[in-house]
Amino acid sequence: MASISGGAVELKRSQAVPVRSSLWRQAMLRLRKNKLAMSGLGFIIFMFLICFIGPLFSPYADGKIDTANMYSAPSWEHWLGTDLLGRDMMTRLLQAGRISLTVGFASMCISVLIGSILGAIAGYYRGIVDQVIMRVADLLLTIPSLPILFILGALLSEWKVPTEYRMYIVMLMLSFVGWPGLARLVRSQMLSVREREFMQAATVLGLDDRRKLFHHMLPNIIPLLIVVATLNIGGSILYESVLSFFGLGVMPPTPTWGNMIDSANNLIDFEQHPWLWIPPGAAIFTTVIAINIFGDGLRDVLDPKQKK
Amino acid sequence: MSSYLLRRLLYMVLILAAASLFIFALYALMPGDFVSGNLRLSAERKAELREIFGLNKPLLERYGTWMNQALHGNFGFSLAQQKPVVTLFNEYVWNSFLLAIVSTFFTWLIAVIIGVISAYKQYSIFDTLVMIFIFAAMSIPSFFIGLFLIKVLAVDLKWLPPGGMTTTGSNATGIAYIREVLDHMILPVVVMTLLGVDSLTRYFRSNMLDVIRQEYIRTARAKGLKERVILYRHALRNALLPAITLVGFELPGLFGGSLIIEKIFNWPGIGQLYMQSFTVRDYPLLMGFTMFIAILTVIGTLISDMLYRVADPRIKL
Amino acid sequence: MNKKLIFSFLAFSITSSLFLAACTNQNDAVTTSGEAASAGNGAGVAQETPLSEQGLTKLQLARDITKLPEQAKKRTDTIIVGLTDPSGAFTPYFHQSGYDGNVSSILYASLVTVDDKGMPIPDLAEKWEVSDDQLTYTYHLRKDLTFSDGSPLTADDVAFTWTLLHDKVYDGGSLIPELHIKGGQAYKEGKAESIEGIKVIDPQTVSVTLEKPNATALTTLGGEILSKAYYGKDYAFGELDYIKKLHENPVGTGPYKLEKFLPGQEVRFVANEYYYQGKPKVEHFIYKTTEGDTLQFIETGEQDFGGFSATKENIDKLTGLGFLDLLPYTANNYGYIQFNLEYAPLKDKAVRQALTYGLDRKTIYVDTSQGAAQIANIPASPVSWSYTEEGINTYDYDPEKANQLLEDAGWIKGADGIREKDGQKLTLHFIGSKSKATDVFIAVAKENYAAIGVKLEAEQFADFNAQIAKFESGDFDLVSFSTPILTDPSDGVVAFVNGEVKGYDNPKVKELYEKGLATSEIEERKAIYKELYQVINDDLPYIFTSYKKSLYAFNGRIENLTVSPFRGISANIHNWELK
Repeated sequence: MASISGGAVELKRSQAVPVRSSLWRQAMLRLRKNKLAMSGLGFIIFMFLICFIGPLFSPYADGKIDTANMYSAPSWEHWLGTDLLGRDMMTRLLQAGRISLTVGFASMCISVLIGSILGAIAGYYRGIVDQVIMRVADLLLTIPSLPILFILGALLSEWKVPTEYRMYIVMLMLSFVGWPGLARLVRSQMLSVREREFMQAATVLGLDDRRKLFHHMLPNIIPLLIVVATLNIGGSILYESVLSFFGLGVMPPTPTWGNMIDSANNLIDFEQHPWLWIPPGAAIFTTVIAINIFGDGLRDVLDPKQKK
Repeated sequence: MSSYLLRRLLYMVLILAAASLFIFALYALMPGDFVSGNLRLSAERKAELREIFGLNKPLLERYGTWMNQALHGNFGFSLAQQKPVVTLFNEYVWNSFLLAIVSTFFTWLIAVIIGVISAYKQYSIFDTLVMIFIFAAMSIPSFFIGLFLIKVLAVDLKWLPPGGMTTTGSNATGIAYIREVLDHMILPVVVMTLLGVDSLTRYFRSNMLDVIRQEYIRTARAKGLKERVILYRHALRNALLPAITLVGFELPGLFGGSLIIEKIFNWPGIGQLYMQSFTVRDYPLLMGFTMFIAILTVIGTLISDMLYRVADPRIKL
Repeated sequence: MNKKLIFSFLAFSITSSLFLAACTNQNDAVTTSGEAASAGNGAGVAQETPLSEQGLTKLQLARDITKLPEQAKKRTDTIIVGLTDPSGAFTPYFHQSGYDGNVSSILYASLVTVDDKGMPIPDLAEKWEVSDDQLTYTYHLRKDLTFSDGSPLTADDVAFTWTLLHDKVYDGGSLIPELHIKGGQAYKEGKAESIEGIKVIDPQTVSVTLEKPNATALTTLGGEILSKAYYGKDYAFGELDYIKKLHENPVGTGPYKLEKFLPGQEVRFVANEYYYQGKPKVEHFIYKTTEGDTLQFIETGEQDFGGFSATKENIDKLTGLGFLDLLPYTANNYGYIQFNLEYAPLKDKAVRQALTYGLDRKTIYVDTSQGAAQIANIPASPVSWSYTEEGINTYDYDPEKANQLLEDAGWIKGADGIREKDGQKLTLHFIGSKSKATDVFIAVAKENYAAIGVKLEAEQFADFNAQIAKFESGDFDLVSFSTPILTDPSDGVVAFVNGEVKGYDNPKVKELYEKGLATSEIEERKAIYKELYQVINDDLPYIFTSYKKSLYAFNGRIENLTVSPFRGISANIHNWELK
């Protein structure tokens, strides 16, 4: 049932000497040809640039409170209107993007990295290593997140960790606690890949573990990782607002896309001040789409099973 | 296989024991207790109440008492609600289960259909629309979708009830009662399904893309098999197999309740009960519920592993 | 992956649910006021003060009753009111949640209740006497009182209720055990068979003797009565678990009796034909559990009554619906920011005053809530009879004055713009709960204080319990709170004299506090409290922040609807009518 010839391709590739660089170059070449993927990438870069540079040109960058202008609708002065405290939504949207994008990418990277490495090791080595990793994963899966957040809040407060840094620490810790789901998934894929014929061939050829693991098995699960990672970014951006909720995220008045959306969570704001939630929602939406389009393109060029 | 099962069961017990200690410690370390939030009580009365509730005893002793009772099937009385924890579960958990099971069914059904079609017609208009829709659902917090549907379908158009499980004051029984509950279920189930369907669709689509590119599909095509036969008999089956392992993970979710959906739609489920207990630090209920979910999680992972073995017999357990 | 998603999904859920909870706090007003009746001491007289210049000031009748939704039209013998979370423990004194208190206040009448001004008035007891030494209270019951099961209510039931609460395992929140009834402690310790101070004189009369006088005793003792025949059948000292089984089958004395409890959905009541003031006019009453926003239920007619914050947008929206009567009210409590008086810089009164001048309370509390609040300057609400603005400094936002005060107090701006004195920087560590209101406070206060050279570091906590824990550890400089519903003006100032506000000790305040309790002459007390408020207004152990304004919106068909500031809807529910 498995892909015999797929394995053969693998073998051929790894036998050729300058394989690596040319493979990469090939992949990048193909990626560059994929217009859709490149436009996705372009949008992400654009988003980063406008969020980090844009606010520098805004007359409202200091976030001054302006009670004369509360809840004003979009106008020439305020392109996206103002919020409850009369602050310019456009400026806040861009300032929020700095944090949301950073947090989204950083936390995605951490959790995918931890999850896939542990999963891959467990799936590859089996035996005692597998048992230990997976049983720890089982244990972690049973732990409820709510009390952890509360305790973290109390501890960080007691240790006098500056509020600006708390969010990053918490995100890091949550990734440490949150890896089991992904690790299990990666492991199960590894188990399946491990039994494929090309791996038996690799063993027969006497390739070492590192080579087998990183050159032959991991590439096979990259499509999965990309799907997970791209899904993860949108989630992380919103997740930040959850942390803020427990006093663990960013502190007001600093905006993020997540807490901007959340602050308009009742029927009245929903109906009467759509400019409060449409812009951050649209920002998350377009970013997530761009990331996913790019992710799809990347996946296509990196997938060893796929041949054009 | 049976020795493996035996070993896993043993592990399960060990993990649950470790988890119970860990969870107990977590709840105990949380700032505040059942008495502290009540500002009307004097310091002496608070001390007296802590004595009565046993909150002033050392952590290990409290854990011992709790474990001992739990092993005898007694999960204690909820401090806030003054009822046995088990009774409370019974009153709320089935309402949550009802929503979860129905929406899980629809989530899987829709995810499979959409995932397969959009993979099969990758980059078609249908595929693009579906993906855009999925990302939109992902970018907007669920309370917005909920509020929006309530506003449009319940408040403005009055097609569906705005919340609750039955009409307030209704005395309907039998078929009429079932119809009433069904009416009230539509909105929450739609939102829950929307929320679940995005990641699962992506997952199926990705699996399906993998499978379609496998050589045996080409072989099947080369043999001149009909597209439909290829799609359903060969591709779909193989794409579904890895997903089967996810079934086990759904288990705790079925009983865990959903805070947001229950809150927005005023559904009398366990998620709301948990949150209320959390705010007042009702330890017996919190512990009981968390352990219940922990047990389901561990059983769920076991089921997943077993199913995985069934799905891919090459894998040695 | 899936687990990961479930995990984050759960967390999202939590966020929004807390948000929703925060948005609908107004519902609680019904609760708390209902609760206050049994807890308060009702020794004073309250006075209706007109609400501030803008917004609603009095009952606004429905403009167009024909807009009433079908569903509400169809209901002819039922009124539905929202209640956050009744849990099923409906026995008075034994419930742990205020929402159950709301339910039991409908099911049970009290011996003594309070009127809209907080003065004690007869309920089940038709009159009472207090001995000259203020130690013995004698209650005379009305004739022919019956419980909802038809059995008679006598002095024995009263004595039984008081005794029960002295059991050593009693774990409820009643304040009766803290009144120091003579012999109560001996009973609690198991040294006596009964409580010496409680005497049944005849079936209509019961008296109780205290060890020391207590101004709150009359109303505290005058609470709900439990039937001895029903609740005392299985009673043995030290064993109260049996009562838990009776929680959902209450036998009461109130206007309604329990028909059915659907956990998480409804509490259904039916009129009690044995109610001593006569069977209520509306046959059915329902408390509907509404966790989220009540607006959609009001709008669709599924609910007849709801509480909202009195924001302009809410008023416009509710008025626009046409079929609702709107009743505005200001709750009898106040919000404040407490200084940590053990933190050296805050020991200086001038610094505290500067921090008050330098805080734009109008923006924070009034403007951003669209008029649903009024600025506070004293520890009493405008609803209270003791409220005064005479001789009270309003500390209007004045950064120049704040700067001047700090300058004079020796706090000089350093290179970074933050004031210093003796090498110490003027930084303040604020703690508050995580809510939209706190978000606004932090945003504005940071800017305000930066302008006067003070650095504000803010921290928010996930829930009230977490905030209290931090507060009790003493690791804060400013903390934001609001008081519970105040019955007597003394409730609003007691924290300044009983050591609750750590580091505050002003003999003048103590003296005036005692004086205020020593007399029951209202005019005399008014003068005393005026002086007391002036002292506190100058001392500023707190920054007084705001009085919240809310409104009740209800189906225009309901007549005779009034809401007591102390007892909520239960005070008058038997007179409500559905036209």
